[in-house]
Amino acid sequence: MVKLDFYDPSGGIEVTQPHAPRLDKLAGKRIGIVTNEQWQAFRTLPLLKKLFEQDFPGIEMLPIDAFPQGNALIGEEDTAKLIKKSGVDAVIVGNAA
Amino acid sequence: MKNAVSGLGLAPDAAMITFPIDMFLPGSDIAALEKRKQEFYDALTQWKPAFAQAAPGVSPLVSVEGATYEEALDKANYLLITNLWGDGLPLWPATKERVDRIIRGAALPRDHVIGKFPPRGGITTVETCAIALAMAGGRPEYLPVLVAAVEAFLDPESNAEQLQAASGSAYPVVIVNGPIAKQIRLNSGFGCLGPDPQRPAGASIGRALRLIQQNVGGALPGIGAMANYGGMRYTNAVFAEDEENLPRGWLPHATERHGFAQDSNSISLVFANGAINIRRRGAKKETPEEDTLQGMHRMADFMRTPNLTNLTGYEKGTPGVIMIPGVVAQTMARLGWTKRSMREFFFEHSKIPLADLRRNGGPAWIEIDANPRVRESIEHDPWPITLKPDNFVIIVAGGGHPTNSFWLQGYSPRVIGREVRVPESFDQLLVEADRDLGCGSDACMI
Repeated sequence: MVKLDFYDPSGGIEVTQPHAPRLDKLAGKRIGIVTNEQWQAFRTLPLLKKLFEQDFPGIEMLPIDAFPQGNALIGEEDTAKLIKKSGVDAVIVGNAA
Repeated sequence: MKNAVSGLGLAPDAAMITFPIDMFLPGSDIAALEKRKQEFYDALTQWKPAFAQAAPGVSPLVSVEGATYEEALDKANYLLITNLWGDGLPLWPATKERVDRIIRGAALPRDHVIGKFPPRGGITTVETCAIALAMAGGRPEYLPVLVAAVEAFLDPESNAEQLQAASGSAYPVVIVNGPIAKQIRLNSGFGCLGPDPQRPAGASIGRALRLIQQNVGGALPGIGAMANYGGMRYTNAVFAEDEENLPRGWLPHATERHGFAQDSNSISLVFANGAINIRRRGAKKETPEEDTLQGMHRMADFMRTPNLTNLTGYEKGTPGVIMIPGVVAQTMARLGWTKRSMREFFFEHSKIPLADLRRNGGPAWIEIDANPRVRESIEHDPWPITLKPDNFVIIVAGGGHPTNSFWLQGYSPRVIGREVRVPESFDQLLVEADRDLGCGSDACMI
């Protein structure tokens, strides 16, 4: 038999920070929505807001214009600071494609 | 998305809910959101990443066995394809012996970390480059150019993180200046965009870079890279400027754009997403002046296209790379043209009337651009396709024939330059290349 050993070419990756912790429940929480204003986000994200509000008593879903909108702005450090300052428990980001 | 979070240092996983693209198109039915609402609720309350971290920066070995070498080689290629590490063409398995041979071309230590390749964030070392070059059929003397290209690719200013994943089919163009181009058999003349058995370096270097983009950076078609078409991606575009045929007084691109000393070895990285031949020459009894002016207008007319990929590099990048053969450059120089006067011509004559832009919806893209300089540009009529003449990249390259020039449409936030460093043993590598491939001088060329 001929054996060929060769390198995995994919390189390693390094995890340096954990994902955000999950919420224990949704009722009574304050949830932000960050939109890139692309891919029908102006329709999908308001529908999501409505569904959450229907299904979880006391939940506060911030409107989609509560934070800066659009691909050019949502990745900015200033936007992240605004989100933290708003005191939301979690954020939904959409839409990617 | 997994690539994107991995590139940020998070586990390569994300609490995401995916739908077919149809739901994201104008006028779509979005009722599926309600049907799958529980997935959104679970994502916020129950989701956990499913990822176990391996040792970073270490390339493990994998094995195949066959009754014969041919069978083992086939199995190795099947494994590369099934692990999504291939490009569809046969590859050399990166055995320890092959990689050790390639590493001889390194001026840096084998474990030197060049950076994290976006968007996946794969740790990219000199060894990572050598592995890719080994797979792509490369040689040790090619490694310095590949390492410099990867360094440029990973420059934070390159915006490679977005371009690797974007739908616009960006591909890197690596322009090499300096004596190393000829030394390693990199083409600057006929067929310089390849393929070329007499000057094979560009194909291997470009293919290796593409393999790194995919295997280390995660730019897998339809998974990590949403490039609709992905043109020019098997080998990217790696070629040299034809410095021997630069007219007197015309500076090499590396000196003009990046300030590198003439006769030093360097690369310049541009992202492009188009490639088109332009019939530049006149057809009848034009004088040299008429022939030149008509050709310049024909090139500018190609640049005057409103597809707006040039917004990406509007302020500090480039709308594209125009390649003209040395024989044309020589004629133009005799008529008083310089690279600078060509850039000014292209700037003036590639402007687009605002009425044309409005007809095709172009202003909307300009208005939503993150860069205020781009947004302000809409005040000009006709609209300049780039902020300033200096942004045009002009390269003297291509075969010694006056008929055609070539336009690589830019999609490039910056034009990144890097010096090429060679190991002390480089001359020995060139001797070995002569032994393996022939003498490599012009006299040997067909």
